[in-house]
Amino acid sequence: MTWLWNNLDLVLGLTAEHARLSAIPILIGFAASLPLGWLASRVHWLRGIVLTVFNVIYTIPSLALFVVLPLILGTKILDDLNVVVALSLYAVAMMLRGTIDAFGSVSGDVLQSATAQGFSGPSRFWTVQFPLAGPVLLANLRVVSVSTVSLLSVAALVGSGGLGYLFTNGYSRSFLDEIVIGIVFTVLLALVFDAILVLAGRLLMPWNRRAAVPTRIPFLKAVIPGSAR
Amino acid sequence: MFSRTMTRTAIGALSLGIGAVLLAGCTSGDPLDGGDAGGDAGTLTIGNQAFPESELLAQIYGQVLAANGYDVTYEAGIGSRETFIAALQDGSIDLIPDYAGNALIFADPEAEQTSAEDVEAALPAALEELGLAVTAAAPGEDSDALVVTSEFAASNDLSTIGDLAPISGSVTLGANTEFEPRWRDKLGEVYGFTGFAFKAIDDYGGPGTLADLLAGNIQVADIYTTTPSIAANDLVVLEDDLDLFAAQNVIPLLNADALTDEIAALLDEVSALITTDVLLDLNGQMAGDDKPSAADVAEAWLTEQGLL
Amino acid sequence: MNFLIDAFGFIVDPANWSGETGIGGRLLQHLVITGLSLLFAALIALPLGLLIGHTGRGRGAVIGLTGAARALPTFGVLTLFVLIGIQFGFGLSLPPVIVVLVVLAIPPLLAGAYSGVEAVDRQTVDAARAQGMTEWQILTQVELPLALPLIVGGLRSATLQVVATATIAAYVAQGGLGRYLIEGVQSRDYVRAVIGAILLAALALLLDGLFAALQRLVVPRGVSRGSTRTTKTGSTAQRPSRPFDATRTPVTEG
Repeated sequence: MTWLWNNLDLVLGLTAEHARLSAIPILIGFAASLPLGWLASRVHWLRGIVLTVFNVIYTIPSLALFVVLPLILGTKILDDLNVVVALSLYAVAMMLRGTIDAFGSVSGDVLQSATAQGFSGPSRFWTVQFPLAGPVLLANLRVVSVSTVSLLSVAALVGSGGLGYLFTNGYSRSFLDEIVIGIVFTVLLALVFDAILVLAGRLLMPWNRRAAVPTRIPFLKAVIPGSAR
Repeated sequence: MFSRTMTRTAIGALSLGIGAVLLAGCTSGDPLDGGDAGGDAGTLTIGNQAFPESELLAQIYGQVLAANGYDVTYEAGIGSRETFIAALQDGSIDLIPDYAGNALIFADPEAEQTSAEDVEAALPAALEELGLAVTAAAPGEDSDALVVTSEFAASNDLSTIGDLAPISGSVTLGANTEFEPRWRDKLGEVYGFTGFAFKAIDDYGGPGTLADLLAGNIQVADIYTTTPSIAANDLVVLEDDLDLFAAQNVIPLLNADALTDEIAALLDEVSALITTDVLLDLNGQMAGDDKPSAADVAEAWLTEQGLL
Repeated sequence: MNFLIDAFGFIVDPANWSGETGIGGRLLQHLVITGLSLLFAALIALPLGLLIGHTGRGRGAVIGLTGAARALPTFGVLTLFVLIGIQFGFGLSLPPVIVVLVVLAIPPLLAGAYSGVEAVDRQTVDAARAQGMTEWQILTQVELPLALPLIVGGLRSATLQVVATATIAAYVAQGGLGRYLIEGVQSRDYVRAVIGAILLAALALLLDGLFAALQRLVVPRGVSRGSTRTTKTGSTAQRPSRPFDATRTPVTEG
């Protein structure tokens, strides 16, 4: 791995840029899906529309979005913002289904008893619904995080791909090592993000450490990596 | 009055928020950034296409400018000419290394000049309409070339592009996607080379193109003349005796607003030293076993030339 | 937004559907690439997943591996395998691409299979065992039919993944609907890029809809939807929007 040592500043710099360009969409995806998801779980007809719209967005190939967004947003062609917006849209789309389900899964009985105790509106949301929905939200967020970190590499084809540069550069020089290093660092970054999210989850939801994950959809426990174990 | 839950929520949210801000702030520049010797002379963004030589030239120009007080950032892997011209025009980048002949044809599709002097003379006027400018061309050239394996050349008696005409129906040509709309008609008009199959391989004459050529999936490939793989694989460059591809001297292409006399002088000084042999040599270094980065190769060469 | 109109105009013009590089030809190529990859992935992932779900062994390792596999940047893995294929003398052809797509499709298929089997009510399995059915019989006659909705869910997820990623594969393997997108990107022809985007999105949505319908169809008669073992969180809880979408992996790798 002498190449790595010789080019460490390049690789680390790319990793930092990759972290920046993927963290922002993940956070935006989470933040934006909360109000949207909550609203959609309450208002029945809105749910269908919101899900359909984001379903369609979800299926648009990322490369197409990177290329066409400057036209729609009026940004410069090589502006990082294009990539951030595109990835944020995908993040919201990925989070939304889970968020709606999560808020919807808090049963009416629980909500009614919260109201009976005097909680209402925002405080009921933040002290009852949000914490109960928390584990599912977190599980989805972890999937979104991993996907976003991976998806950013494709943006290297339009010049903004963080570690994706190592793939195009390594390929153009027939240099396997460089590509492998790019893959390794991307995976490492995804793992770091995942660890941060798990930590945040433990901080915010300490009751989860002992209780079983109160999820309505049991197989989510099984398929989301390590979530309930 | 704040419950424990709310406190924890606040702490958690705050830490995520701080984390995000830190991340957003910590790398405001491009990590492919070259040196920054103060940046009091101005900022420049230099782009390059996704093949090694383009990155090398971007580094060469960029490091010279950085050494003279400019704050240089780089945008790598931009894409085809259509994309980087648009990037120059909207200010995403200020400068990009390009090749005279193809730049001229892009700016003026009717252009007929083919020799190095004629192309260089015609460029400024043609580029002005696009809001672009150019400084002196380098003596070094890197041209599109139609390349075949030595076996194929021998068995079909090929030495010029025109020799492909009789067998064009059974030939597949491999090149970047944009090659076909640009050159198919002209190849027919000038050389009678028509009716060939086309396989789009978007790696600028890179490993995929080479592999397909050697494997026989394509018979003719567009591999640029200073690419080390031509010599390394005994490939035969079909002679362009009717000057279809005009002279392709290296030129720094700029956004007209970004060009100043001082920048022009610096660019001219280094352009004069870029010969075809230099390109071949430095490309060979980058393809060597160590796989040094374009930045390192450029730095070593510039130091050798006394420009750093 | 003119390019949207132009793009639709191109798509509905029947002249553009014929020929190998027409919409029809590229659609067929795309479907073949997708189908082959899914087939190979299913041959590996389904038996493995069923086994893990039935015996309960190896779960931790498999979950860890699929999680790690999901973290692999598809673009990187693609360039890696293409380069390896080149060094083995393959030239630019389909095998490396198929390998990448298979690797991509395995996690959701695997997850669908083992979670499907696991979701079967233990009491049902015990009853079957008490009746004297062999393990094999239990697997094939009890667990498999009950697990079908989740297995199809995994297949649905995998299909969307592969359809989307086959787009990038068009960079190296010449065929598929991704060609429109790539031609658009290389020539900065927005209309072409949007054509590619529309066709790919439409294909993905169509397949998604087909699989959703299939999921409902494969629920065995006598088992009402959603009554696989659930934790009871209240009678008035909303039904999840996609009850059997086991793995929400992104479809946008392309």
